[in-house]
Amino acid sequence: MPRGENQPKAGPITSEYASDPDMSELVDLFVTELPARLAAIRSAHDAGNGGAFARLVHQLKSAGSGYGFPGIAERAAAVEDGLRSGGLASVQRQVSELLELCARASTGR
Amino acid sequence: MNATTLHPFEDSQPTVLLIDDSVDVHRLLKARLRYEDLKLAGASNGKEGLEQARTASPAIVLLDLDMPDMDGFEVLRRLKDDPATLDIPVIVLSGLQSAQDKVTAFDLGAVDYITKPFNLTELRVRVRSALRLHRLVQMLAQRAQIDGLTGLWNRAHFNKRWTDEVSACTRHHRPLSLALIDLDHFKTINDTYGHPAGDAVLQGLSRVLQRECRQEDVGCRYGGEEFTLIMPDTTPTDAAGVCERILAALASISWPRHPERAVTASIGLAGPDVTADLSADQWLDEADRALYAAKQSGRNRVVTRLIGQVTPMAKAG
Ligand SMILES: [Mg+2]
Repeated sequence: MPRGENQPKAGPITSEYASDPDMSELVDLFVTELPARLAAIRSAHDAGNGGAFARLVHQLKSAGSGYGFPGIAERAAAVEDGLRSGGLASVQRQVSELLELCARASTGR
Repeated sequence: MNATTLHPFEDSQPTVLLIDDSVDVHRLLKARLRYEDLKLAGASNGKEGLEQARTASPAIVLLDLDMPDMDGFEVLRRLKDDPATLDIPVIVLSGLQSAQDKVTAFDLGAVDYITKPFNLTELRVRVRSALRLHRLVQMLAQRAQIDGLTGLWNRAHFNKRWTDEVSACTRHHRPLSLALIDLDHFKTINDTYGHPAGDAVLQGLSRVLQRECRQEDVGCRYGGEEFTLIMPDTTPTDAAGVCERILAALASISWPRHPERAVTASIGLAGPDVTADLSADQWLDEADRALYAAKQSGRNRVVTRLIGQVTPMAKAG
């Protein structure tokens, strides 16, 4: 099966809080808004806007943990680490991994 | 009236102010604290947060350290520099890897920290404990200003409150009246019927003050058998009416320990005829002079001194 860069490579990932009644609505919102976030991250990256890119990735990192997606937080942190050591041009691989994982995020319903 | 509405926890639902640039954090915190007995206020940057801290009188502030423009440290510094916000406990929100940030935040006056992402239990426990501490501090501060026997405000509270009211009245050109109320022949009640009877009389007058005064009036036990009553937004003429009612109500009480002996009081009242430029102390002196005049002219009466001119309006009670 042909696979686009942004298509899921494995099964869906769901939030640790998916069954928490306090949280499920927020998790749904996060998942719904995720494509727009990723698009913003991608376009900041492609435009070479390092400031906006770093801020968006940082926000995604804390959002990932907050909404129960620690894997997303980890990959966002990897992008941040890469940024710090090698700058915007050096994080292509980490960004791809982040986007790939995010594409698998699901509400679980 | 304020003096006797002894509700140390008037804001039964304390406000928690969250200052954080991330929409996610606001959403998450709102969900996490949904069932706590508190109101959540929010600000998405430091400037707005400082403003809200001043206006919303939050019981605690949850402060993000990592914000663009003005970061959390700067916000904390300013909160601690402003007398209006200095006492609000601040809990900082910080990322996992920033131990040094926490230390710096404590140095700047934070009371606690919460590590993001929030652990539900930790968050609730820390917020609850900060709120509990805040209430205790409030309660102790208020207790220290309440008279144990009568439940009225004490002299310490009066001193502060009176100064505040005088400057508010001067600033806004509003009327304001002050009554000094002194029980007549109180010593003979104590001597004749014993101190419990005297205490009952002090408590009886306090109850009359509660009944006859309005919500915004501030009654205080000034010391011994002397009481003060601050009446904001009240002209001396209207205040004299309140005082007459107090005297009438007091005189009509039948005292279980001494039904044969009625109790009266004398009242010195002072207020500006027109806007007067008078210090709080001078004003108090005027009321004291009026009280002296009431005692001299036969007791059980109100004597009013209009500040700016001396116009004793002695009236038999
Ligand atoms: Mg932040």
